[in-house]
Amino acid sequence: MNRLPAAGYRLPFVFIVVLGIGSLAFDLTLSARLPSDGDWAEAAAALRANTQPGDAVQIWPVWAERARSFVDTMPVLAEEDPIGADYAGVRRLWVLSLPRTPFFSLPDLANRGATPASGERRFGALALRAWDLHAPAIAADLTASAEQHEVDYVARRCVRVPIGAHFAVRGAAGTALHVRAGVIGERAYDNGRPPVEVRVVVDGTPLVELAVPRAERDGTGWRKADVPLPPGAPDRDFEFFVSSPDAGRPFCLAAWTTR
Amino acid sequence: MKRLPVLIGFFTAAAMALTQAPVGFTRDEGYYFTAAQSYEAWLKIFFHSPAAAIAQTERYWSYNFEHPGLTKLLFALSHLAFTPWLPDTLAWRLPAFFFAGLLSYWLCVLGLSRSRAAGILAPLLFWCAERTFFHGHLACFDVPICALWAGVGVAWLAALRRLPATGYRPPVWFGILYGISLAVKHNAWVLPGVLLVHGLLIRERRRALLTLPWILLSPIVLVACWPLLWHDPLRHLGDWIAFHTHHVHYAWWYFGAVLRAPPFPIAYPLVVDALALPLPLVVLLAAAGLSLLVDFARRRLDAQRLLELGLAGAAVLPFMLRTTPIFGGIKHWLAFVALLTPEAAGLLVKAADLAGFRRAVQIAAAAVLLPGAWQIVHLHPYGTSAYGELAGDVPGAATLGMQRQYWSNNVTAVLPWLNAHCPPGARVYFHEVNVESYRAYILSGMLRGDIRYAGGPADADYVALQWHREFRDREPETWNAFGTHRPATGLYLDEVPQIVVYARPGLPGAP
Repeated sequence: MNRLPAAGYRLPFVFIVVLGIGSLAFDLTLSARLPSDGDWAEAAAALRANTQPGDAVQIWPVWAERARSFVDTMPVLAEEDPIGADYAGVRRLWVLSLPRTPFFSLPDLANRGATPASGERRFGALALRAWDLHAPAIAADLTASAEQHEVDYVARRCVRVPIGAHFAVRGAAGTALHVRAGVIGERAYDNGRPPVEVRVVVDGTPLVELAVPRAERDGTGWRKADVPLPPGAPDRDFEFFVSSPDAGRPFCLAAWTTR
Repeated sequence: MKRLPVLIGFFTAAAMALTQAPVGFTRDEGYYFTAAQSYEAWLKIFFHSPAAAIAQTERYWSYNFEHPGLTKLLFALSHLAFTPWLPDTLAWRLPAFFFAGLLSYWLCVLGLSRSRAAGILAPLLFWCAERTFFHGHLACFDVPICALWAGVGVAWLAALRRLPATGYRPPVWFGILYGISLAVKHNAWVLPGVLLVHGLLIRERRRALLTLPWILLSPIVLVACWPLLWHDPLRHLGDWIAFHTHHVHYAWWYFGAVLRAPPFPIAYPLVVDALALPLPLVVLLAAAGLSLLVDFARRRLDAQRLLELGLAGAAVLPFMLRTTPIFGGIKHWLAFVALLTPEAAGLLVKAADLAGFRRAVQIAAAAVLLPGAWQIVHLHPYGTSAYGELAGDVPGAATLGMQRQYWSNNVTAVLPWLNAHCPPGARVYFHEVNVESYRAYILSGMLRGDIRYAGGPADADYVALQWHREFRDREPETWNAFGTHRPATGLYLDEVPQIVVYARPGLPGAP
């Protein structure tokens, strides 16, 4: 039987010692990769100095919500899918991120047609960059809600419409109507529940129907319909009829038109 | 050799007692405190008039019928005995520290069969992680049943090893200890199966088959420790069993998806262990599991190592069935970790011995234990939030989409702020903190007595939100009610939100 060289016997020992030292080094250096209060304050001051109407901050990773304690001049958004998110009404999006945190991966906003509106600035462990979203201008925020509700784990500006009721509003038509809807909170995942239907009627004519089925996977609960508006009067009457055999769930609706 | 396990057990219990003060009251603990109060009231009647107490068992013992009575009875007895000198909550928790000490004692005994160093290292490996350390403080059942999992194993081995020359001594202690485990938590239901299979696989099969029937003592212990069973026992036993065979599934966040109902991922408990515990410990436990499995396949396991493998496997396998409720972090299969530590300790010592260095054991032990010690120093008392290096610590786990915390004990971080800022009679919405734990915070002096418990953000002056994926609607609800998005304070562990406090604008502490 061949004997291992002495170094071979030492391998498990060396492995465990290196693993222990590496783990400890990772733990002890973690705080250096995280922002201090000063970093947050500096980033917030930079945002304050550069605020324009239509600005908002997207934090990344989405758990970096301590930003809310510092950023006081624009909405702080925690969209989980920055590529697919609407960012309705946002012209310039500031991405405030913690790029040195483990598993950090920032989605490239260029994939949604955005272009950088500034270079990246660093405030200690924080990075800040502005993006022009090139979003079409809002013609009318039909559901203009001061309230926010959680649908699909994201706080969304939407109006609560009881299932079985309807929401009516008159507003500028623009060229396209955008409807978003979903069940608030965990009830979206209730087993065996029938879908909720949103029927949109414009100036008395049915335009589109949006089905909101029971959410089966996270990220599928906020349903979308984007439809062109037929030519007509510059201002129209919009009606949203919300119905379902199960009216017990809290339901939220957002709608706006774009030029 | 007997002194070493006792010493280690004593130091473990002392360490728990000395570090318990900041540990918040978990949701379950609030219920068990309430149960202990009810049982204590019954004990007072019992000591005065046993017949009157026996006639009223149903009234005092029906609360928390879903768990057997022993640990809660011990919490009550401890409170009755020690409250003249100790604070209420510490008095309730004392038996938990005793069980933590017992666990160390039995792990040390199992480790000592390999070497003295392994005997010292086995309990250290178990406790040197914030998750396990945290659970050692709670007046709950998870560490007690983990201790008895090991204890029943040690008693079983002792019964098998008794030399024929010493004459036949019935293994009463083994039967009683199994009864105690049954009177602690329903996990013990699976132990007879493990022992039977073990007995059939070892050389001492005849002795094992003669020993196993002594578990028939266990119903006597169970009934004696659980006065609820003194009347209408079949109905109460049925309720106990039905509660656990039809247990509700709580939502649990796992790699970015909320798990709400079966089927759950088969590897779930192993993955959560791997992410929550310090990486060197994970690697060492994995090596221990592999070592036991390989030697089992090669039929090289002695009775003790075979039992350790069986007990570790029986602790975790029910949670790999894909239908067993998986909530509670790693607490429900702590015995899986515990029963692997003697083998892990043995492997560590072996690796150090092979290296041939002076002090190699100490160096290897430091390498494995220091990351866990740092985790404790850095994160205690927020044990349910702890993650290890494989997860990227707390921030990495948040990015991966892992359960941020569970229960509500992390609220202790903001109680001093609430005490300092709330006007007299302020209403606070404590979110996941149940009324029972809220009362315990007031009783322990951690929360001002005039602060009131609000039912929701709308009727609150302050809100202390626990970050849970499935309760994300509470934060926008608070923004709507308070008209602000700006938190007043909070607990952020390595930047990751755990508790976020909002104050109505204009009230003290509001930003």
